Amino acid sequence: MSNQEEQPENRLRKELPDEVSASAAEPEQAPAGSGEQQLTGRQRLVKGLWPLRVTRAQLIVALLLFGLGFGLAVQVASNSDSDSALRGARQEDLVRILDELDSRTQRLEDEKQGLEKQRSELQSSSDQAAEARKQTAEKEKQLGILAGTVAAQGPGITMTIEDTKGTVKADMLLDAIQELRAAGAEAIQVNGVRVVASSYFTDSEKSVSVDGNKINAPYRFQIIGKPQDLEPALNIPGGVVQTLEKEQATVTVERSSKIVVDALRQAKQPDYARSSSQ
Amino acid sequence: MIAVLGLVVGVVAGLLVRPEVPAVVEPYLPIAVVAALDAVFGGLRAMLDGIFDDKVFVVSFLSNVVVAALIVFLGDKLGVGAQLSTGVVVVLGIRIFSNAAAIRRHVFRA
Repeated sequence: MSNQEEQPENRLRKELPDEVSASAAEPEQAPAGSGEQQLTGRQRLVKGLWPLRVTRAQLIVALLLFGLGFGLAVQVASNSDSDSALRGARQEDLVRILDELDSRTQRLEDEKQGLEKQRSELQSSSDQAAEARKQTAEKEKQLGILAGTVAAQGPGITMTIEDTKGTVKADMLLDAIQELRAAGAEAIQVNGVRVVASSYFTDSEKSVSVDGNKINAPYRFQIIGKPQDLEPALNIPGGVVQTLEKEQATVTVERSSKIVVDALRQAKQPDYARSSSQ
Repeated sequence: MIAVLGLVVGVVAGLLVRPEVPAVVEPYLPIAVVAALDAVFGGLRAMLDGIFDDKVFVVSFLSNVVVAALIVFLGDKLGVGAQLSTGVVVVLGIRIFSNAAAIRRHVFRA
């Protein structure tokens, strides 16, 4: 690579006069160069720049520099195009980039799988939680029916006791309730009072109190349960109906496919007992 | 002066035209540009030294470009293209720096 370094330049300059000693350009330039030896580089630069000489040499140099500028601009422009950044890349660079992309894809794929697994775990656990909530709600309803905190409906019977003589006592009603419970009654209300496990019947003058609520004849029982079991249970010989009829009361029992027990009772927080299950 | 104009016109033309670089030339263009830059700096230094010769400039410019492209081509064929082009750029960079230092000494006397 020969360039304008001093030695090759000088060698060439020494050679040139030998080869073309009669050249018109060389002698002209050589004295000029030696004559302007006192000229500084700066002056030479200014001198080369300003007087606009159009010579063949200048034109050729201009052409080369045009090519350089063109190539420079094209290269810069094509390099700054982001989408064609890979176009000029070498094969091994491309292979390396491809490898990197592959391993990156692999890593991201692994990460994705882990996250998906986590997601499905979370989903199934939230499903389980929803299921548990559903079961809890179901159980709450069932227990609410037993405890009398929610309304209930279903097949059952209606029993009406007409007591015009005032002979029906609390123990007879309690017997009726026990009989009904034994026959599988699930929800019972008497004249708008829900009968639950802790219910009690007391005699008050001429009538009866259920859990402290005074009720008057006729006593109207609404019972949810299997009608085919409940009705015979009341009608057995020596049973509730016969006992009451002996006391001059009139008892009517009706089956119904839809009984609504909508009398409610407040759930009472026990003072001492606590659940022992977690 | 005309040379400087040529450079400016070339840059402007390159930016305006934005030609598609053919895929064959693509790996060699950057190296060729750096080699040509080296030749230009050498020429500028020679001019400041008062020993500029247009024939030498033309020959060195063209040979620089051709040799640089050849080295890269050979390197690609041998499988060491990346390393060789790095080497070429380093060498040309060093030369550009030393020429620039000489030019600076002429222009700024420092």
